[in-house]
Amino acid sequence: MTAHLELSDVSASFNGFKAVNGLSLKVEKGELRCLIGPNGAGKTTALDLICGKTVPSGGSIRFKGIELGRHDDYQIARSGVGRKFQVPSVFRQLTVRENLEVAYCKRNGVLANLLRWAHSADSDGLDKLAEFVGLSDQLNVPAAHLSHGQTQWLEIALLLAQDAELILLDEPTAGMTVQETQKTADICNRLKGKHTIIVVEHDMGFVKAIGDIISVMHQGKLLAEGPVAEIENNPKVKQVYLGSVGISGA
Amino acid sequence: MMSKRTMRQVFVYGAVCLAILLLPMLINDDFLLNRFARYLVLAMVSMALALSWGYAGILNLGQAMSFGLGSYCMAMALKLRTIPVHTGSEGLPDFMVWNNVEALPWFWKPFYSMPFAIAAGIIGPMIVSAILAWFMFRGRVTGVYVAIITLATLVVVNLVIIDQQWATGGFNGITDLAQLELFGITFDAYSATTYYLIAICLTVCLFLALAVTKSKAGLILQAIRDQEDRVRFFGYDVALFKTMVFCVSAGIAGLAGMLYTIVMEFASPTFLGVQLSLSIVIWCAVGGRQSLVGALLGAILVAGMQGALSESEVFLDTWTLVMGALFVLVVLFLPNGIASLGEKLAEKFGSRRRAAAEPAKRGNAISRSTKLAEGK
Repeated sequence: MTAHLELSDVSASFNGFKAVNGLSLKVEKGELRCLIGPNGAGKTTALDLICGKTVPSGGSIRFKGIELGRHDDYQIARSGVGRKFQVPSVFRQLTVRENLEVAYCKRNGVLANLLRWAHSADSDGLDKLAEFVGLSDQLNVPAAHLSHGQTQWLEIALLLAQDAELILLDEPTAGMTVQETQKTADICNRLKGKHTIIVVEHDMGFVKAIGDIISVMHQGKLLAEGPVAEIENNPKVKQVYLGSVGISGA
Repeated sequence: MMSKRTMRQVFVYGAVCLAILLLPMLINDDFLLNRFARYLVLAMVSMALALSWGYAGILNLGQAMSFGLGSYCMAMALKLRTIPVHTGSEGLPDFMVWNNVEALPWFWKPFYSMPFAIAAGIIGPMIVSAILAWFMFRGRVTGVYVAIITLATLVVVNLVIIDQQWATGGFNGITDLAQLELFGITFDAYSATTYYLIAICLTVCLFLALAVTKSKAGLILQAIRDQEDRVRFFGYDVALFKTMVFCVSAGIAGLAGMLYTIVMEFASPTFLGVQLSLSIVIWCAVGGRQSLVGALLGAILVAGMQGALSESEVFLDTWTLVMGALFVLVVLFLPNGIASLGEKLAEKFGSRRRAAAEPAKRGNAISRSTKLAEGK
């Protein structure tokens, strides 16, 4: 059986600078994979390549056996790839509920959407989603009025509404308090198995709480891959990223 | 199905349309009525711009192009219905005779049919806009570049029309038109019938545009306005949505252009001039670009004030100053236009009412949060 997502020898270059250089990665269906690495290792670029924001300059990216490199970003999204960006990007002028309505995108044609009311019959499910991430009191509040943590929750709810098979999370806990990080970890653990998830994170505590297998990137390449305990003791990883104090000190 | 906010909106929109439709009962002056009809046409273009600018974030500085094309379609049809003085009933339009044109150009011929002319006046601008939009939005051109491209296109079309004098009448435009006749009704520019025609078209277009904004597509367009890239990653073809709204807006502007020819009794290159196009943006901004009815009232207010001030003896020398001051005040204090004034007032009264009901609600919230803290 082929992996759910398979990157083989993928590269991306910006004006000659190779942000990702021959990256190979396999993720199985239902797996939660953490991607770590020092700044500039190419983690975010790797996610950009998968979701089609950046066009690869070489190699192949296969999702469910389909080659993604040739498709436009919105077509890749339709095939079941969801993405949360590093900088929270919600629709600030729309209310929380409207944000969720937009994300609920089972039918994405123009005509189909012209002939439908904005408040669909499916909104019950969306209300439950808002409850799931603790935003049910803010349903009618414009997203611009949410706090930073709430905006992050909303983004996660958007991904759930989109119901993507493959979810790419770019630093989901950035700027969150300890409790909020804990809650995000809970959500990630709950999604494990149902969705295939790739998380890019710096917070090692969070990675330990959710990750089974960690992939470490360095200078655009895969440096090491394995369970948390193994990565912690990998001398190469220690050298480039974690420092001599080990994984817990990072 | 309708939310409270939608209900309120439909109520306000309906009230405005009703007021517009009832106006001729109060006015017994054909000259004044013609002028109001003119303002209504301008309001229609302004509303069309609000649809693409306010809801989808596409600042179309070339809105007058669709308006002008519609206006020329109607003028061509009405010109063919006049009987030329020199060449007889089957003859050429007068300006063609002056330009030594011997036979009617092929693209004029279909305009003998009024249904064709009306369809062309709406669909023509839509097709031109669709082509332009396809190139812009497929190429992911956004923001200020869209404004520049649409403005440049407007100038090009304007120059072509002025330059091809043999077919378009050039600088003079197409003048000396017949009156429109539809279903046995004659639409005299200085009569209540023409006013009603325009008022009804305006009402239909306003509610059509409202329906677009209330559909799920309307919601997606607003999402595109806020975060275009994010919408793409939900699997929506952003270019197609933008093209759609750009074309709907162009179609409404084209219809408005046709009505303008009827009310003005001529078509001129100034109808697709840069000055008019920029005025539309100003009306829209003053009225409130994120409110269809706001943009509509903005156009009536500004164009009306312009008309009234420039004719009154007191403001004869200073009326442009007064208009300028109005724009500055609106931009400074009401960045979302006059429409936001209504919303601000509603919010103020609403919050006072809410404050009275607050204590009970707050009690609930506290008990809920303590429950959460206890892990229940």
